[in-house]
Amino acid sequence: MTETAALAIEGLHKSFDGLEVLKGIDLEVREHEVVCVIGASGSGKSTLLRCINLLEPVNAGRVLIEGEEITARGIDVNRIRQRVGIVFQAFNLFPHMTVIRNVTLGPIEALGSSKADAEALATELLERFGLADKRDDYPDRLSGGQQQRVAIVRALAMKPDVMLLDEVTSALDPELVAEVLNVIRELAAGGMTMVIATHEMGFARDIAHRVCFLDEGVILEEGAPEQIFSSPREERTQRFLQSIIDAGRM
Amino acid sequence: MRKVLSFLAVGSLLFAACAEDNPTIGGTGATATGGTGATAPATAADCAAANADAFLSPGTLTVGTGNPAFPPWWEGGTTDGSEFEFNDPALGEGYEGAVTAEVATRLGFSFPDQVAFVPVSFNKSFAPGDKDFDFVLQQISYKPERDDAVDFSDSYYNVNQALVSAEGTSVADATTIAELQDAKLGAPIGTTSLDVITEEIQPTQEPAVYDDLAQAVTDLQNGDIDGIVVDLPTAFFMAAVQIKKGVVVGQFGAESDEYFAMAFGTGSPLVECVNLALAEMTEDGTLDAIEQQWLADKTNAPVLS
Amino acid sequence: MSYAGGNPQFPVGSPGLDPRAPVPSGDRGSKILEPLRAEGARGVAIAVVSTVVVFGLIAFAVLTSSGWPAIKEAFFDPTIFWDSLSKIMEKFSRNVFIFVVAEVFVLILALILAVMRSLRGPVFTPLRILAAAYTDLFRAVPTILVILLLGFGAPSLQLKGVPHSDVFWAIVALILVYSAYVAEVYRAGIQSVHPSQVASARALGLSRGKTMRFVVVPQAVRRVLPPLLNDFIGLQKDSALVAVLGYTEALRQAQIISAAEFDFTPYVALALVYIVITIPEARFVDWLVARDQRRRQAAGGV
Repeated sequence: MTETAALAIEGLHKSFDGLEVLKGIDLEVREHEVVCVIGASGSGKSTLLRCINLLEPVNAGRVLIEGEEITARGIDVNRIRQRVGIVFQAFNLFPHMTVIRNVTLGPIEALGSSKADAEALATELLERFGLADKRDDYPDRLSGGQQQRVAIVRALAMKPDVMLLDEVTSALDPELVAEVLNVIRELAAGGMTMVIATHEMGFARDIAHRVCFLDEGVILEEGAPEQIFSSPREERTQRFLQSIIDAGRM
Repeated sequence: MRKVLSFLAVGSLLFAACAEDNPTIGGTGATATGGTGATAPATAADCAAANADAFLSPGTLTVGTGNPAFPPWWEGGTTDGSEFEFNDPALGEGYEGAVTAEVATRLGFSFPDQVAFVPVSFNKSFAPGDKDFDFVLQQISYKPERDDAVDFSDSYYNVNQALVSAEGTSVADATTIAELQDAKLGAPIGTTSLDVITEEIQPTQEPAVYDDLAQAVTDLQNGDIDGIVVDLPTAFFMAAVQIKKGVVVGQFGAESDEYFAMAFGTGSPLVECVNLALAEMTEDGTLDAIEQQWLADKTNAPVLS
Repeated sequence: MSYAGGNPQFPVGSPGLDPRAPVPSGDRGSKILEPLRAEGARGVAIAVVSTVVVFGLIAFAVLTSSGWPAIKEAFFDPTIFWDSLSKIMEKFSRNVFIFVVAEVFVLILALILAVMRSLRGPVFTPLRILAAAYTDLFRAVPTILVILLLGFGAPSLQLKGVPHSDVFWAIVALILVYSAYVAEVYRAGIQSVHPSQVASARALGLSRGKTMRFVVVPQAVRRVLPPLLNDFIGLQKDSALVAVLGYTEALRQAQIISAAEFDFTPYVALALVYIVITIPEARFVDWLVARDQRRRQAAGGV
């Protein structure tokens, strides 16, 4: 390959208690690319994302960020994690801290920014995503959608190279989903490299440069969204998409 | 003949005095009120017989005392099967042991077969409600404040408080109370010994108050306190046995009117029976003899004034 | 009360939970008067009648019992009560000193022990063993024994520099013993913080130590305020144990008066003093917990 991929995964295997969940994942994500990972529950989507920022240790295989192998021995895990932003489905925000403190904690304590700098950046980000008036509130005063947006802002405040989004709208009330998806759209438009695990097929079709279908621990099929959603090659992909249509989610 | 007459005279005088203090309980036929001049019991045994129902366990005298039973009040060592530590009261040895045995006999009980001993903690001796004993004796001093909670017998021992210490302490050679001003003194809880410290000596340092004497002795040996105030016989015992290089420094108030008494439940008609017994023992010299036997070497100490 | 996070009525992470909806404050289970609100006026009437009847019967049974006059005199004598109260309260300031000083150190030492025990990673094994052994030892030995051993034993060594003060050793003993209990309370709190909170913090690149310090411990402590208060109340009462060393604090003072008067009323006076200080403490912690519960709902949602 001529240019270094933003993110490269080679032969990734991951087991829990003897049960193999990821059975050899190969994936390359170029800079500014948005890759959506779809698949049934339990297919390993969350595990895959958590392996990328080393929240889960890898059993076999390599992960490289901007060409640096982060699965090598002796790597400074914390430094790597500062370069990879991740947002979970739930329990993101720290409930005992205000929104602004949630956002500035990472930059101050992990990146060593000054309080003034951190707050300036945080304020700017909160304003950009329409959350400025919430800065001194505690998370319990925010709606689910607002909390997820703050969680994204918090990850962005670390100025990551890659953003990983793990089903960030799955736990939200339907009417709150849109505001979060819009934030993600904006990030994509701004050129952020992202790997997004999602159930929102319509959204994936809109935003993804590439879609990967994860099934039983391997990437069964991957390609452009039009191809995957309109004419999937694999039978299991078809069945999965059919079940989504039947459930009225596409 | 004269002995009998004088005994009757003393006995009835004492009896009249006691009778006024003790109200009648129930109607078992025991006429204990003075002034009526009716059938007043002449001897302790008569009194006990007339009040046979008032005993906790008919046909038995139930006596309570503290566990462990310490010398010189109780002696003779332990017996298998007895729950008492140090000494078995049923042996009737030691000052309180001998007094109890004598009183029991005069009440008409054979000792030790018709006498039962039960361990009674200090607090239990005056707690309200039904008692586990007919009377309790464990070096309890009569105090007017205590009179509401229990009924006291007459004195069975006139007691002086004393100071015991160890060689080399700041108070070991003291001869006056003034020399004790700067000392750190200790006393067991619930005793008039503590009153002596706070009212007579009045040292600048607060007294240390202990649950039991063993702890007081430990602090004395550590040098954390300079001396312990206890009753005189106990002071001798401690100096001889418990304290290394122990010394009885002296006793307080030779004219002290403090005395040990048995404690009964309020309104118990047995008080006068025991008082009769004590009077008999005083009159015929038995009490003195008991004191000679068990406390003879435990009464000579210089007076601190 | 569940410390697993969130209100058990609203399952964690379920779609449809909108944290903007009013959340129940406090702990549902302990609202004594809760059923009344539900039932309305009729419910209130029933409650009043039932309360009056039950307590009235109890009072009647007690006050007309044959032993009551003796009990009244022995436990509730007004003269002795007022006389002893001032002396007892004066000595109670010594108890306050002991348990306040002890509690400060307990809260610190216990947290250190709990964090030691929670450290992951094989290199920390000796620390974990040490913390576990400490906790086992000091929860096993009765507190009074520790005080006796230290209070009489340490001065017996006659070593230079070893303090002889009763208060000193009592405080040390209380710190050693209560740190063991409180460490376990903290540990329960630490373990109850949702693992995603740790994941979120580590994902930001925060070290283990900083994650503990900024994210886990603050949440853990808030979660275990009620059992922390429980242990503090126990400590307040155990401050009386210094008396076995010969030091006169409030309980010993009550004992002295009781023995002199052959009356138990001084103990009743002391009990009242304890009640008067403990109840506000409990209400204060309830308030703290209710405030924290609201914020925890957020963690229970998204």
